[in-house]
Amino acid sequence: MTLKSEWEIVGAPVDPDTTERLFFTDAEWDTVEAATARIMPTDQDPGAREARVVVFIDRYLSGIDYVYAAADGSGFLKMSGKYADAWRARMDEMQNVYRHGLVRLDELAHSESGRRFADLSDAEADHLLELLSGAPKPGQVTLGTKEPVTTFLQGSFDEGLDFFSALCLHTRQGFYCDPVYGGNKEQMGWKFIGFPGPKSLKDTMDGTYSTAEYFYQGEFEWEDLIPQLKAYRDAGGTL
Amino acid sequence: MLNRKKPEPVDVIVVGLGANGGTAVKVLAEAGLKVVGFDRGPWLRPLEHYSGDELKFVNRDYMWPDPKMFPRTVRYDENAVAERFPFSPTPQMVGGGTNHWAGWVPRPRESDFMMRSLHGEIEGASLADWPFRYEHLEPYLTKVEWAFGVSGIAGADKYEPYRSKGYPSPPLRPTQYGKRFYDACNKMGINAFPIPHAMVTNKHNGRDPFNQTSFWNQYGDPSGARSNTLTSFIPEAVATGNLEVRAECFVQSVKLGHDGKATGVVYIDPDGNEVEQDARVVILTLGAIESARLMLMSKSPRFPDGLANGSGLVGKNATFHEYLFAVGLFDKDIDEPLNGFAGNYISGGSLEFYETDENRGHIGGSIISASQTCHPINWVFPGRPSWGEALKDADRNYYNYAMKIGLILHDLPVESNRVDLDPTVKDAFGRPVARITHSPHRNDIAMGKWQVDKNVEILEAAGARKTVPVYLDKMTGNTCHQHGTARMGTDPAKSVLNEWGQAHEVDNLFVLDGSGFPTATGVNPTLTMMANAWRCSEYIAQVYSKGREERLILSNTKR
Repeated sequence: MTLKSEWEIVGAPVDPDTTERLFFTDAEWDTVEAATARIMPTDQDPGAREARVVVFIDRYLSGIDYVYAAADGSGFLKMSGKYADAWRARMDEMQNVYRHGLVRLDELAHSESGRRFADLSDAEADHLLELLSGAPKPGQVTLGTKEPVTTFLQGSFDEGLDFFSALCLHTRQGFYCDPVYGGNKEQMGWKFIGFPGPKSLKDTMDGTYSTAEYFYQGEFEWEDLIPQLKAYRDAGGTL
Repeated sequence: MLNRKKPEPVDVIVVGLGANGGTAVKVLAEAGLKVVGFDRGPWLRPLEHYSGDELKFVNRDYMWPDPKMFPRTVRYDENAVAERFPFSPTPQMVGGGTNHWAGWVPRPRESDFMMRSLHGEIEGASLADWPFRYEHLEPYLTKVEWAFGVSGIAGADKYEPYRSKGYPSPPLRPTQYGKRFYDACNKMGINAFPIPHAMVTNKHNGRDPFNQTSFWNQYGDPSGARSNTLTSFIPEAVATGNLEVRAECFVQSVKLGHDGKATGVVYIDPDGNEVEQDARVVILTLGAIESARLMLMSKSPRFPDGLANGSGLVGKNATFHEYLFAVGLFDKDIDEPLNGFAGNYISGGSLEFYETDENRGHIGGSIISASQTCHPINWVFPGRPSWGEALKDADRNYYNYAMKIGLILHDLPVESNRVDLDPTVKDAFGRPVARITHSPHRNDIAMGKWQVDKNVEILEAAGARKTVPVYLDKMTGNTCHQHGTARMGTDPAKSVLNEWGQAHEVDNLFVLDGSGFPTATGVNPTLTMMANAWRCSEYIAQVYSKGREERLILSNTKR
C-alpha cells in the first residue's frame, strides 16, 4: 500500500457555486439546504444557505474523495490501504444515517402539514426540527449567570452521531471550514464571527499569515506584569 | 503472507517514536549504538503535510489513530461492559503527541516525587514515592529545555524549585486574554507568569521561528517554531547514521528468550508481512496505554499474564490528568475584545495553588493557565447552543469575547484504575484493544471542584459577565496524558520497573514513557517524561550496555 506520508494530491478545491449533486438527490438537496438554513439561519448576516453548506455536506458524503484537503489547499489527499477502508466504512454508515434521517424528516413534514420540509415556513420548519431532535429549540445565552457542566471529550468527530446531531455539526463545519471544502463561501462564516482567517491554507504554511496583531498591543514590561520577577532580580537572580 | 528476510540484529529497538522514543533514539544514537525505531503511524513531513486546516486536524483526525482501525474501550466500573470510546487519543506517528500538543512544559515540583512520604496512606488511593528525587532529574530537565528549545522567564515562577540554568528563548508577548489574566491575578495576589512553552522565539539550534498563525493546539506545525521530536531529536538521531526509522510498522509482541531476556520484537510491515527484528535491548515508549497493552499481549510460558508482569501490576494504577476549566463570557457592547483564537494556546499561568493545603479539604493541586478558546467550528463554549438563532447570536456575540482558564488535574493513583486487554473488541490487525477501567478517587472530584471554582473567581476578577465551570464526573482522557501502568520503584513486589525504567524481571527491557510514573504530578508531564527518558537512555548507553551495574544512591537532602 502507499504509505500515508506519500498520499497523492488529486482534484481541485470545491466550487461553492456548483449545483452538481454527487450524493444527494434533487429532493434531498433541497431538504438539506432548508434544514441547514434553520440551523444557522440568515439574518442581517449570511447563514448556511449563502455559505453553501449544502455543497460542503454533499461532497463530504459522496465518498472518500473530499475528506482531507491537501495541506496547501490545492486539492485533496487520496487515501490508501486500511485508512481508505476505514473511511469507506465510516462514509457508508453516514450515508445511511442521512438517507434515513431525510426520509424521516419529510415523513414528519407530511404528517404534520402535508408538505415537503423544504416548503415549510421558518416557524414550521423549526417545530419539525424540535420533533426530530426530541428537544426544544435552544434559547438565547444570557449573561449574569453561572452554568456548571460536567466533563466531556473535546473535539467533534462525527462517527456514531444520530442524524440531527450530525446535521448540526456538519452545518457548523460547512459554515466555518476552510473554503477549499466547498462551504464558508468567500469566508462569509469567518467574517460574520470576526475570525481573521487566512486567505489560503498555503498562507499558513510559509509565514505569510500571522495573528500577531491580535495579541495584546500595549507597551509592557514583564516585570510589571509579574511582581515576582522584579523581586527575583532585585534579590540578585540572574538566570 | 510473504516471508521477508529477517533483518540484521541491532543494539537497541525503540518502539514508539513520540516525545520519549524520540528522546531515547537521540541519546542512544549519539552515544554510538545501532538503533531501530518503530512507529505504527506515518513519518510525515511538516513542511509538506501541515497547515491551518481546522476540519482536517480537529474534526477528522488526520493525525490521530483512526478509531475504526485502532479503537479503545472504556468502562467506569468493574462490572460494566466497556464501550468503544476514543480515550486519550494521542497521535500515533513519528513525533507522537508532540505533533499536536500545545507545548506546556512546566517543571515538576519536589513534592511530586514524595507523595507517599508527605501524605501517608490515603484511603482508596495507592500513593507511592518515586525511586528518585527532583534533584536527580534537574540536570536532565535543563538538558531537554536547551536541546529541545523552550521559551520562558527564569525567576518568574515564585514556587519553582532549584534550576541550574535559564531558558534559551523568551516568551511571546501576552495575548489579550493573557493580559486580562495577569491583571486579575495581580489584583488577587496570585503569582502569574508565562508557563514555559515548547517553542523557540529566537533563532535556536538552527531553527528559525515564524509561526504566529495561532493554529497551534491540535494542529501540526509547518514551521520550526514549535518543539517536537519529529523535527528535532529524530532527525538529529538519523544524522548520526545510527538510527533507522521504520514507520507504519506495527509491533505485535516482544519476544522472550529461554534465558528470560527479551530477544527482539515481531512486527507487521506496511505490506502486511510479519517480520522479526532482534536486538540486545528493547525499549518501549508507546505511551502508558499502548506500552501496557503490548506488555500484556506479549505472553510466554515464563510470563503467562504478560511480559515482566510477575507482580500482576502491569496496567494498574493508571492516571490520566483530566483537563478541567471554566469559560467566561464578556459583553461585546462594553468590554474589549479578547480574540480567543490568538496565541500559542496558553498565555499566562500559575502554580499558586499547586501544593497541598489541607484547609481545602483535599491533597495535591494543579497548574492553571489562561488559554485559547480556539477556532470557529470547535470553539470552547460548553453550552454553546446547537442550532437556530441562539447559535448564531452566541457565535456572533461571544466568539471574540470569551476566555478560558484551565487546569491539569493531579489525579491520585488507584490500583483498580487500569488498562487491560478487551475480551471482545479487536483492532484492524485482529489484536485485542486496550480497555480502560477508571473511576475518579473522591480526592480528584474535590480537587477538581476547588480548582475550577478558583478559576471562576479569577474570571470574575477579570470582569467576566457569565461563567461556565466544567466539573469532574468521569475521566475522558482529554489531555492525552497517561501514566502509571508500569510503576517505577525499588520493591519488585510493588513495582514493575526500577529507577532506570528497567523491568525488574527482564533486565534488557526498559519502559521509558509515563508508564513508570508512580504518581501523576499536577503539571503537564512531557518535560518530566523526556528528562527521565534522557536520564535512563544515558544509563543504558553509558552503563548497562557496557556490562556495568550502578545503582543510584538516593540522597535525602532537602534544600
